[in-house]
Amino acid sequence: MLKIFKFELKYWFKNPTFYVFLGLFFLISVLFAAISGGIFESLTGSNVSTRIVNSPVGINDIFNGISIFIWFLIPSVIGASVYRDFKSNMHSILFSYPFTKAQYLFGKFLSSLFVVSLIILGIMLGIMLGFKLPGTNEQILTSFNIVPYLKAYFVFIIPNVLFIGAIVFGVVTFTRNIAAGFIAIILFLFIGDIIEIIFDQDKDILYRSLLNPFGGEALYYYTKKWTLAERNVNPIPIQEILIYNRLIWIGVSTILFSLIYKFFQFHQNAISFSFKKNEGERFVKQNFGNIINIELPKVTFDYSFLYNLKASWKFSNMDLKYIIRSWPFIIIAGVGVLFLVISSTTFGEIFGTNTYPRTWQMLLIPGTIFTFFLMIITFLYSGLLIHRSRTSGINVIEDCTTIPNWTLILSKFIALLKMQALLFLVVIISGISIQTYRGYYDYEIGHYLFDIYILQFASVVIWTFLAFFIQTLFKNTYIGFFVLLVLYIGIPYLSAIGIEQSIFKYNQGPGYRYSDMNGYGAFLSPFFIYKAYWTILGLALFILSITLWTRGITFSIKERLSIAKKRFNPKTAISFGVLIIAFFSLGFKIYHENNIKNKRYTQKDRELQRVEWEKKYRKYSSFLQPKIVAVDVDMQIFPKERNFKAIGEYTLVNKTDKPIDSILLNHNDYPSKFEFSKENNLVSEDTVFHFDIYRFKTPMQPNDTLKFTFEIENKEHTALRTSSPIIENGTFFHNTHFPSIGYPDGQELRDDGIREKYGLPKNDLRPHPSDSTALGNTYIAKDADWIDFQATVSTSMDQIAIAPGYLQKEWEKDGRRYFQYKMDSKILNFYAFNSARYEVVKENWNDINLEIYYHKGHDYNLDRMMKGLKESLKYNSENFSPYQHKQARIIEFPLTEGSFAQSFPNTIPYSESVGFIAEVNDEDNEALDYPYAITAHEVAHQWWAHQVIGADVLGATMLSESLSEYVSLKVLEKGYDKQKMQVFLKDALDKYTTSRTFETKREKPLMYNDGQGYVRYQKGSLVFYALSDYIGEEKLNNTLKEYVEKVKFQTAPYTTSEEMVSYIEKVTPDSLKYVIDDMFRTVTLYRNKIISVETEELENGKFKVDIEFEVAKSRYNDKGKVYYNLQEGDTLSYQKEGRKKPLYSAPLADYIEIGIFGEEEKDGKTKEKELYLKKHKITEIHNKVSIIVDEKPKEVGVDPYYKLIDRNSNDNRKDI
Amino acid sequence: MKLSIQNLTKTYKNGVKAIDNVSIEIGTGMFGLLGPNGAGKSSLMRTIATLQDPDSGKIFFEGNDILENKMELRKTLGYLPQSFGVYPKMSAEDLLFYFATLKGISSKQEQRRIVQEVLEITNLYDMKDKNVAGYSGGMKQRFGIAQLLLNNPRLIIVDEPTAGLDPAERHRFLNVLREVGTNSTVIFSTHIVEDVKELCNEMAILNGGRILKHTTPMEATKEMEGQIWTKTISREELDANKTMFDILSSNFNQDNTLNIRVLSETKPSEDFKAATPQLDDVYFKYLKEDEVNAKTIV
Repeated sequence: MLKIFKFELKYWFKNPTFYVFLGLFFLISVLFAAISGGIFESLTGSNVSTRIVNSPVGINDIFNGISIFIWFLIPSVIGASVYRDFKSNMHSILFSYPFTKAQYLFGKFLSSLFVVSLIILGIMLGIMLGFKLPGTNEQILTSFNIVPYLKAYFVFIIPNVLFIGAIVFGVVTFTRNIAAGFIAIILFLFIGDIIEIIFDQDKDILYRSLLNPFGGEALYYYTKKWTLAERNVNPIPIQEILIYNRLIWIGVSTILFSLIYKFFQFHQNAISFSFKKNEGERFVKQNFGNIINIELPKVTFDYSFLYNLKASWKFSNMDLKYIIRSWPFIIIAGVGVLFLVISSTTFGEIFGTNTYPRTWQMLLIPGTIFTFFLMIITFLYSGLLIHRSRTSGINVIEDCTTIPNWTLILSKFIALLKMQALLFLVVIISGISIQTYRGYYDYEIGHYLFDIYILQFASVVIWTFLAFFIQTLFKNTYIGFFVLLVLYIGIPYLSAIGIEQSIFKYNQGPGYRYSDMNGYGAFLSPFFIYKAYWTILGLALFILSITLWTRGITFSIKERLSIAKKRFNPKTAISFGVLIIAFFSLGFKIYHENNIKNKRYTQKDRELQRVEWEKKYRKYSSFLQPKIVAVDVDMQIFPKERNFKAIGEYTLVNKTDKPIDSILLNHNDYPSKFEFSKENNLVSEDTVFHFDIYRFKTPMQPNDTLKFTFEIENKEHTALRTSSPIIENGTFFHNTHFPSIGYPDGQELRDDGIREKYGLPKNDLRPHPSDSTALGNTYIAKDADWIDFQATVSTSMDQIAIAPGYLQKEWEKDGRRYFQYKMDSKILNFYAFNSARYEVVKENWNDINLEIYYHKGHDYNLDRMMKGLKESLKYNSENFSPYQHKQARIIEFPLTEGSFAQSFPNTIPYSESVGFIAEVNDEDNEALDYPYAITAHEVAHQWWAHQVIGADVLGATMLSESLSEYVSLKVLEKGYDKQKMQVFLKDALDKYTTSRTFETKREKPLMYNDGQGYVRYQKGSLVFYALSDYIGEEKLNNTLKEYVEKVKFQTAPYTTSEEMVSYIEKVTPDSLKYVIDDMFRTVTLYRNKIISVETEELENGKFKVDIEFEVAKSRYNDKGKVYYNLQEGDTLSYQKEGRKKPLYSAPLADYIEIGIFGEEEKDGKTKEKELYLKKHKITEIHNKVSIIVDEKPKEVGVDPYYKLIDRNSNDNRKDI
Repeated sequence: MKLSIQNLTKTYKNGVKAIDNVSIEIGTGMFGLLGPNGAGKSSLMRTIATLQDPDSGKIFFEGNDILENKMELRKTLGYLPQSFGVYPKMSAEDLLFYFATLKGISSKQEQRRIVQEVLEITNLYDMKDKNVAGYSGGMKQRFGIAQLLLNNPRLIIVDEPTAGLDPAERHRFLNVLREVGTNSTVIFSTHIVEDVKELCNEMAILNGGRILKHTTPMEATKEMEGQIWTKTISREELDANKTMFDILSSNFNQDNTLNIRVLSETKPSEDFKAATPQLDDVYFKYLKEDEVNAKTIV
């Protein structure tokens, strides 16, 4: 064995490929590590400064990530070690040598494994070096530590290579085909996804962890709830599940190898499959020659261009037949289609509810995965086809016929396009089948064909050009394939080294999106220009491929080049030249448009601008300014031309007690005209930041009024650029496009590390609520408190235009429609304009006009939205205060403008994708009626934002978003049973505990939050929902009512979260005061867990249930670092037998729900039945309770309804 | 129909000079290119068949410079390489249709007619639906001839076609070739002297990339009349004889004695008998001379 081992090693060490691979991977690793270490920060903008990139987890990720590329080497190293002997026909000689099967197989396998592991060591060294390179950012790098590298190498990578290697070794040994090894690799790339699709439930995480052969999922089991602080320092935890996973898969590898050993035979033939049984026939050849006369029939020959073109088409069918009959194609395409089918079952899912299968959605199904499969097949078969005649040995005959090169290469190109068209047809058929299956019969065949065969096909064709060029260049299909794969994956990431513009990156360019309301909108024109640009280059590459085409027998690169030079005759040169000139002209035109006609800024430029902006203008942040008290806008929307013109008038009042001598005007780069009703000079004009300062001749005295008028319109559109937010159907125009007064701080850099680099002070984002000087502004707008609002909106004849307020007048003039709106009460300076061809549904409820403006055909959920409007209006007005308007409107807008709904005064623009096309299933316990829930949330904002608005300090969004989400849950709860609620609460909980791990700045307690979604929505809703459970819904709402009464429509100083919490605290009993601390004042997470449960049937037919459970509470600082003590030394700890470290907890005197559940039959379905549910006072980490229930228990739980914030929600319940 | 090769030279990357300044003119009829393995026969034929370019030199066929205008030659070329493969899972008939299209036969009807004809000529008609990949060596060579005939070629190049064929196959094959060769130029390479003797009206001996002799089989043997001598010796005497005589060939008899053939203008010694020159003698004579010359150069 040692002999074979040594022999093989010698082969590799002498083979230049080994050193090429070693060098290549080393360099890639250096580059990767250096990029993540921030070496290109001077080009690309700064990295987040708080994430340590070479933390143990970071090293493990990058090392494992690069090692995946190694897999593609395995067929050509481990697989080839046996294949080589077959290919060279050595096996017939070799196998007669005196060594045993074991010696041969082990020798071959271990030697090639050794070679691969050496290359991986190269990766390791590369990463180490990459992090150490001068120019990396020291802020994000910690000191060198070898342990994570070794753990990644020995615990993950080597066992994985062993596993993949055993499979590939087996596949290649038995099929004698390296391609088969490649297919195995490609399939294994997706095994993680497959496992994830099969075990998609959160509770299946244990299966996922054990079954994923590469250990990543098992590691994730431990690391997924780590905060950034933990991620930065914690070592890779090599614990139970991970160890089991590794043992299982090393075991599987061993079994695989022993199977190979068992079935391997020296004298074997390749295993082949055939469905056809060939009947044997006896042939006897004619052995006695006779003299014959040859008189060949006269035939005519045609060497014309047209003939050759036809021949291309004819041959392409032959090539196509070859592709679709070959195993690699069948397998890869089969798996691709499988993915298509699987992923189609959950499209558009939000909160467990699917959408109707609209055609545009069917067209998203190919997505990245199916397209990836398509590209893999293209890359592989472009090589196999190009080299096919040479591999089969027929080239020596083909090449001396009269067929021109271009006919041959074109035929193969056409064959590939046909293959792609065929696979795309599968997409269309699947789409239509899914629609039919779901009982949806609105097939838009034209839309299918256009999207697939024009838009999606364009990208594929452009890649195929490159694939042909690369595969012609390389004589080895697999090297070509590898290069193409690296390009395909790598090109989009070129931004990481500062190449940002699409014109420099093959087949990159703007994408497109489709909406029912607005079709493809203005996306198509730039899309086609970029695709034309790349197609031209593709054609030029195609010409190069023809000149480089191998015809006959060539031996050296020099020879090929000299032949290519000869073939590059004037005719070819001219067509190549024309294409290249066209490519560069179009490229220049795009470049000119994006860089010269319009100024282009790189990421880095933008970062520097933000620094400059702050340094230059921050000093004006507390500059006293007048406030807007009234807005009157004449908004002209031209949908067809996608233009707008707005003429607006702000009325400003000096509400301060000091004179104001200058005004700071912040605006956009639209062509605009500004005018003040007071004499002034423009003393500072900034054409980069569009921040101008006007100085009045005479200062504005306190209470003085000033009129400011503006006229803005968009620049002209070009084929490449859209210069206005107006779209053809479904405009959603926000007032942020209008000028505002004062210094806006939203532009400031948030990351303190980056700020330090530029000499900026630390940024606290917003002042603390206790800072009474900071309560002068709402968090919505600095330049206004409450305003009077009126607007005239005009649009085209076929559209309806909407603004907040009540319609006063509607008229037509010069072929346009005009709508005049006026608001009867004061509103926040927060409004928008919508215009589209709407259908309208109207209802009246308690003297409130309810209206929904929707796109024709999107009438699926109007009832649910109407109900949501009513129920939410009812809940809010009954519990808090009366509704301030006489109208509530929902207005649909296209999903291209966003997937959200937003509450403006009496007006709720609502994206088509978040409710209008939802297919709600009331029967499904895990599916949320989100059109209803979102409507309820948005209506609640009419109170929680439009009545109660917080000051611009920390925690302000708690008053609006958390409360709206709380109302939404409460409204939802009315029609739902507890079980269904539990699903959503758990969903919110998991979202919160997962999202907080991605936090890079800081996570503050709810009361002082910085406005992150996961805090204000998920955590906020959980907290208020739990609070209503702890102190009672009525008690909570009553105190909130008092609070609303006091603060609604108030002017400065505005209210804060502290004020609201003080109202809540007032009604909270002392025993529950800790809840306020845990929920509002700190970041507190429980770790509640059922350890064991035992039941015993008693003589009286009752059941005794013994439950052992743990309750532990941990707290986190801003940076995500855990702590347990409230005061020095009061930390609880519990040392469990067999565990290395004790469990810690903050001191406990907490009321935790314990529940016991049975089953009952209801309407023929088994449902969960609550047998026992009570809050127990818990003071220790480790607890045991014994409870007697009447019926047979099935399940127990500690905090079974997920009311508390729990780091791991999967162990709260346990089956008996 | 004249093929004219002028000063053709080709050196491979590994330094082997496969074709060394070859100049030769070949007319209508069967032309045998005789040479041992590695003599450069295939390189020369591939170059004529436009599959590879020489480093220098020119080739003309019917006045056409074929290195400059390959397509012109390909129209009239039929080439059977020494070894070739086919696409798996394709029948002889389908492959022939494929080649017919490659060679520019546009009409489907004409394609059908000629494919049937060449199948019959090569006696493959009954096997036309079988995959060529599963053919025996002889059948595959006949298939090679069938494809070669499709464009009614005037220049036919067949590279060692008889290697590996059984006697009956070989015989049949040569018959077909002879028939084909009546109206065109056929260049036929082999290392089997017998083939040339049976078939060719002209021949050349090639070794080390050089033409050692350009002649006809008749002339070649005639030239050596009276110069070939033979005698029977024992195995042990061979070395002694080698130093004394110019031995062209030696072969064993059944009783383990050896017959040796010696080249000499006069009778070398009394125990020799005169023999009629064979083509083999000519072949060995030139190879041996070449070997001696090559050595003296070294």
